[in-house]
Amino acid sequence: MNQHTEPANFEDRNIPLDTPHPLAAQFEAITKEYTLDKVKVRALGGISGAIVQGATTFITGPSGSGKSTFLNILGLVDRPTSGALSLFGEDVTRLSDAAAADFRSRNIGFIFQSFNLIPVLSLRENVEFPLLRHRMSARARRDRAAAYLEAVGLGGMMDRRPGEISGGQRQRVAVARALATEPRLIVADEPTANLDSRTSREIVALLARMQAEFDTTVVICTHETQLIPPQSPVIEIIDGRLA
Amino acid sequence: MIWKIAFRNLVKNGRRSVTTALAIGVGGLAALLLGGFVTSIWYGVQTSMIQDQGNLQIYRNGYLEFGAANPEDYTIPDWSAAIALIKADEALARDITVITPRIDLAGIAGNAATGNSKTFIGQGVVAADLDRMRQWDGWAIGQPGTPTGLPADPAADKVVVGLGMARMLGVCEALAVPDCKDAPDAGAGREADPAAAEYTDLVAGDAELAGLTEQGTGLPQLNLMAATTEGVPNIIRVEIAAARAQAVRALDNAFVMLPFDQARALVFDGSPEATAIMIQLTSPDRAEAVKTRIQGLLTDAGMDLSAYHFTEVDPTFTRIFGMFAFIFAVVSAVLALVIVFTIFNTVSMTVVERVKEIGTIRAMGFRRGFVGRLFLAESALTGLFGAALALAMGIGLSRMINAAGVQWTPPSNATPLTVQLMVLENPVFALSVALFLILIAVAAAIWPTFRASRLNIVESLQRG
Repeated sequence: MNQHTEPANFEDRNIPLDTPHPLAAQFEAITKEYTLDKVKVRALGGISGAIVQGATTFITGPSGSGKSTFLNILGLVDRPTSGALSLFGEDVTRLSDAAAADFRSRNIGFIFQSFNLIPVLSLRENVEFPLLRHRMSARARRDRAAAYLEAVGLGGMMDRRPGEISGGQRQRVAVARALATEPRLIVADEPTANLDSRTSREIVALLARMQAEFDTTVVICTHETQLIPPQSPVIEIIDGRLA
Repeated sequence: MIWKIAFRNLVKNGRRSVTTALAIGVGGLAALLLGGFVTSIWYGVQTSMIQDQGNLQIYRNGYLEFGAANPEDYTIPDWSAAIALIKADEALARDITVITPRIDLAGIAGNAATGNSKTFIGQGVVAADLDRMRQWDGWAIGQPGTPTGLPADPAADKVVVGLGMARMLGVCEALAVPDCKDAPDAGAGREADPAAAEYTDLVAGDAELAGLTEQGTGLPQLNLMAATTEGVPNIIRVEIAAARAQAVRALDNAFVMLPFDQARALVFDGSPEATAIMIQLTSPDRAEAVKTRIQGLLTDAGMDLSAYHFTEVDPTFTRIFGMFAFIFAVVSAVLALVIVFTIFNTVSMTVVERVKEIGTIRAMGFRRGFVGRLFLAESALTGLFGAALALAMGIGLSRMINAAGVQWTPPSNATPLTVQLMVLENPVFALSVALFLILIAVAAAIWPTFRASRLNIVESLQRG
């Protein structure tokens, strides 16, 4: 793993709500509270800001700062206790479970820390899997999955199972899977946490390349600040608030 | 893709899948074997009754309700006219294989040689017709009936008695009946039961008065005394041709089957009356249609007669089958419960192990229903494998048991039958059991699947 040399300062890289750039997400006064062992915990204390379209934005902060909670809310797998969130101009704060699922399937791709590939499916089938939610023929699904695996450099091992490849390769498959539905937003939660430093840099570079190639919006949650390229927009969360 | 995932997950958890499928398979096997046995009873008992009584019977209206008290008031006045009417109907010709009259009677039987006497319950039948009826095997189950043992001539003076009756009359030895021990002779009987001795003397005296003579064929002689429809005592002397066990002990101890004309001479004094007309059909499936047709003919002809299905006349079949069906239902319910708990446990374990996968699938935008379908498909496949196992084992084991030639005596039979577990012979039942196993496997998975689909996505993703 990478070692921190000195605390980074990202204060000037937050995107304000009134930015003139086209926005992928706008969030205002987002709070999140939950109860843990009968104790009410406030994970997010009211954060506001925006994420611009067509860029890779990093969410960073120390462990337990609330960055994953914020990413989950951004990815519509969790709901804020209060506040407002819109994605691509659509208010998504209070979507029903089914509506949120539909929105995710159309617009959001996920990359997880521990890859979360389905172990019984081949790499191609894993990439193909989210396309089941899309009206596509089986052949079109297979072709698209193959194309994205080629794009991440795994064209030669499509029929292997996740258990037969390395961690870095698995995360590449996860990237291909996230891209396969051609979402407008990709959220990646600590995508390099289980990888060595060299592979971590490769994955971040791959994500940046894919973001540029497919003109999508990528939000990466990471506590490894040294992976954050200069000039990238950053949302830094400390103790549930923007730093 | 759902089925692919389901199948591969079953293969991945091979030992658990095999154990669960085996539990379903063994449960299904038990249901199939028991069902196969009940099926054989269904066919076997019905076959016995159709061989003995026909599919349909015609009685004088009111006989079934009141005939036991006053049989003479409820006889068929002219059985030959009724049979001629039915035989003349072209539509019925291809359905009816045998149509024959029967006389039910009761009286006192006495063996003058041994001095033993006994009340009897008799049937006067046309032996040739009844022997043909006993060859019936409409369902091809290979269960031939026992020939009556009566001569084909309806006027012959030979009778067949129940095994118990033979024992009490003391004719076992004379007839060389195996496993049949004669009752004490007349002298001992007189001392033990003076009333029986009085009856024997009475019957013997009447026979003498009637001018009946010894036949001299070497067969045991039997005097049968009964009241005619006029209420006059009448007596005939016949020879006992054979002794045959009857299904019910009380009947076996009193049964006498005699040629139709002899019975007619005894109780109807030659008039063209009969108690019933038995009708055997080519196919039992046609019973209801034929019954309706015959009833129409009888009514149109102004005959005071009604046609009944044999189950309406004798509730034995319905009761026997009902009893076995109830046992089958109870056993099946218990088996189903065991299968439900097994599947429930298996699916619950699978859900716990795959919580993270559920969270991932939900995060990718799949609705709760998809997660449900994923696990239900897995359960359905397990049920399918279990059902296939049950069918394979059921067919194999039933064949082995059938080949072993195990014997048992059904409640309605006097003689033992070879156990035939009819599994493959009843494909509708076998497939129903298989389908039931699959359905029960799916049903048992509904609750754990429902809970899986309701899991919180974030919490699921956080599981290790």
